[in-house]
Amino acid sequence: MTEFLQQIVNGLTLGSLYALIAVGYTVVYGIVQLINFAHGEVFMIGAFGALATWTVLFKGQTGLWVLPIMVLGAVLVSVLTAVVMERIAYRPLRGAPRLAPLITAIGISVFLQEAVRLFYPGAKSKLSFPEIDVVTGPGIAVAGLNIQRAAVFTVGALLVSAALLWYFVNRTRLGQGMQAVSQDPDTAQLMGINVNRIIVIAFALGAALAAVGGVAQGLLNSNIDFRMGFLAGLKAFTAAVLGGIGNIQGAIVGGLVLGIAESMATQFIPGQFGGSAWKDVWAFVLLILVLVFRPQGLLGARVVDRA
Amino acid sequence: MSTSTPSNPPTQATSVAPAHSDHDDELVKVHWLDRVPGRGNPAAWPLGLAGALVLIAGTFLSWSYTSDVLGDLSVNFWPGGVQICMIVLGLVALVLLLAHRGPLAGLGAWLDTATSVRALGLGAVAYMLGALGTIAVKSGGIININPGGWISLVGALMLAASGLMLVSRQTKDPLFAKTSSWLEICTIIVLMALVLFGAAYALDVGDGASFVLFLLFVASVAWGLSKAGVFTWIGLISQKNRQVLMLGAFAVAFLFPFTQGGSDENMSIATQVLIFAATALGLNIVVGLAGLLDLGYIAFLGAGAYVGATLSASAFATIDWKPPFLIVVLLGACFSALLGLIIGSPTLRVSGDYLAIVTLAFGEIFRLTMGNLDGNNGPVLTNGPNGIPAIPDLNFFGFDFGQPHVIAGITLGRFANYYFLLLVIAAIIILVFTRLNNSRIGRGWVAIREDEKAAEAMGVNVFGLKLFAFAGGAFLAGMAGTVKAHHDVSVTPDQYIFLESAFLLAAVVLGGMGTVAGVLVGATILKLLPEKLRFVADYRLLIFGLVLVLMMRFRPEGLVASQRRKLEFHEDDEELAQRIEEVHLEEAEAKA
Repeated sequence: MTEFLQQIVNGLTLGSLYALIAVGYTVVYGIVQLINFAHGEVFMIGAFGALATWTVLFKGQTGLWVLPIMVLGAVLVSVLTAVVMERIAYRPLRGAPRLAPLITAIGISVFLQEAVRLFYPGAKSKLSFPEIDVVTGPGIAVAGLNIQRAAVFTVGALLVSAALLWYFVNRTRLGQGMQAVSQDPDTAQLMGINVNRIIVIAFALGAALAAVGGVAQGLLNSNIDFRMGFLAGLKAFTAAVLGGIGNIQGAIVGGLVLGIAESMATQFIPGQFGGSAWKDVWAFVLLILVLVFRPQGLLGARVVDRA
Repeated sequence: MSTSTPSNPPTQATSVAPAHSDHDDELVKVHWLDRVPGRGNPAAWPLGLAGALVLIAGTFLSWSYTSDVLGDLSVNFWPGGVQICMIVLGLVALVLLLAHRGPLAGLGAWLDTATSVRALGLGAVAYMLGALGTIAVKSGGIININPGGWISLVGALMLAASGLMLVSRQTKDPLFAKTSSWLEICTIIVLMALVLFGAAYALDVGDGASFVLFLLFVASVAWGLSKAGVFTWIGLISQKNRQVLMLGAFAVAFLFPFTQGGSDENMSIATQVLIFAATALGLNIVVGLAGLLDLGYIAFLGAGAYVGATLSASAFATIDWKPPFLIVVLLGACFSALLGLIIGSPTLRVSGDYLAIVTLAFGEIFRLTMGNLDGNNGPVLTNGPNGIPAIPDLNFFGFDFGQPHVIAGITLGRFANYYFLLLVIAAIIILVFTRLNNSRIGRGWVAIREDEKAAEAMGVNVFGLKLFAFAGGAFLAGMAGTVKAHHDVSVTPDQYIFLESAFLLAAVVLGGMGTVAGVLVGATILKLLPEKLRFVADYRLLIFGLVLVLMMRFRPEGLVASQRRKLEFHEDDEELAQRIEEVHLEEAEAKA
């Protein structure tokens, strides 16, 4: 039983991370029907942004007060990357055949990875992420479970982000504009909504959450590297699809479900095919199964049929 | 609209200074170049002639004081390779100028000589600046540039100036040129010979700077000739004489190892290019014809390679059965096709982006699984991350692929042997591709690609055809994979990462989806450049990513685009649509 609960805790941690990234896929897809394949790289760049902020401003500091500024730095760098990417690479391709933006996305993904590897000092190997008081350190023992301190941060970050996101989407003019554009961009434009601005905001919103995820990942693993975006991005996409792509609540639920499923698979699939060596395989198998049998996802979204 | 007699040209002439709308950046640039002051100046033509001659004259003089830069350019009246390129460019420009006005004026009516000379001139200027810059940097100062270099630069500048001032006097469209068939066949043969010679030369170029200059030279000449309209004509005659072209291409590919004098280094690159090209051609069926985006295609190559490795005589192979290689090839291909079916049959119900992601996930599952089947995390089959090393060379009826063989006095090494085998496989794939493309199946695929629902309504068996594309593509990749295992000597999971799939896709996209020539060009560029550009090795992937983005932005249809594809990406270009219709009519007539 303890083992089971422990895996639930691990799964929730992992799932919160996926959910933070998955929101970016889903928001962008809901508005421009584009799989922003480079979103995993935005997440990675967020982690590097946080590290850079810490290295430049607070090298050697471990106080908790540093963390918000690091998150801010991460968000700034990620949002900037995402907005520039949208403006330079994706916007000119709006209305092009589906293949074009997808290949562009692969190109951006490779480009960003390489740019970080080549131009961030020391990024050719793993870089250690700073230790911050309170959120890193020995785990907290609760009822026989070991809860990582960073896990608490990750889940907390997801809760706060989700609440803010909900407020933004449902209670602000911009958020309502966003909903309108996702339902019908042409009509929304006729109603006086600046569609281009909404799209930029969608990219920025996803990037901000991914940046928070990047910081969480850094704290959880205590190191980051330029390759971390690929697998995380793919898993987060799986989560977005699992929940129903285009559906924000779905992305969060999907992330949590995927995270828990992955931990459970690690622990409870018997024999040689269990264990951590196969957990990625099971995550992808889940992705394929969902896409084939329930393409609209768990919570449902518009069924997408675009060639 | 009536087609094709050379005597009714005025209606069919292409407008000279294109008055396109401004949605195409390239055309806007042409516009800008057309607005150079002094256009139509009568001095332009003699200036161009003089420029071409000065350019050539300069190459016969020494360019560099030191003899260790860009080969040896320091000897008077003994032009080195870098200089010979400029002689060729100068001669092409000379012919075009003489066609513009003078003894070859009859030819000039068919060609847009002015734009072409402009392209050549600008290319020559870039080339000379690059060459002189390299000399200056590498030998330690501008002082080391000898007068010959400056003379050629002046010649190039004169040529460019003349090209900018010349006004085109093309009146006929080369599409409607009627030429005798012996001339056409001769052209194809000469073209093939040039390709062979150019490829051999390019591979022999040692240092990166010379290689870049050579590329610049080829690009300028190709740009110039395509602006002149020569490629329109070549495209047409290669349609007319397709058998000759195919035979010629294979003759060239077959003769290539004989130009290498037994050098294994170049042949190794050439075999890698061939493996890559063969796989990319298989992918081209799936992506280019059927329009199914597959981001995990490398897994099928990997499946073939793993079958080839586990059934080989390697001491590390985990299966004791050692069938003859021909059977292994078939098994590998069938196993791959089976995987294609397994992944294809459920997932083809999803389309577009979703399919891309599913195939990506499948590619990752394949790689992870191969890495896990090491005895600890699963049954022993692949030795996990260590892979299967020490795969012996192939042996066909006593013909040992590992040993060099001497044919007609020329030594053919290990890689040359594999090269020939791979050539056969590539030929099979190309044959399958072209036959399918021109069949009911191929038309069905195109219909699915363009509009799946409409195709289904017209009675196309959408599901069956998609599945066939998937399995067929996988079959071909598996076949190539079995040979790759023996060629590479070892098979490991990290040869089959996602990036390799991305590379394959890039080869297809870069070259031009749905065309054989395009994919061959794309595969060659993607494999050859990193080998030759060792000095940018670290920035290779960065450049790759950037090129992919720029390509999608400015030329999404690829370098060698099939016309239909081109139209897909430029839907609102009426002129292009009309032009494509003309080309199609003309080709249909040529075939009849």
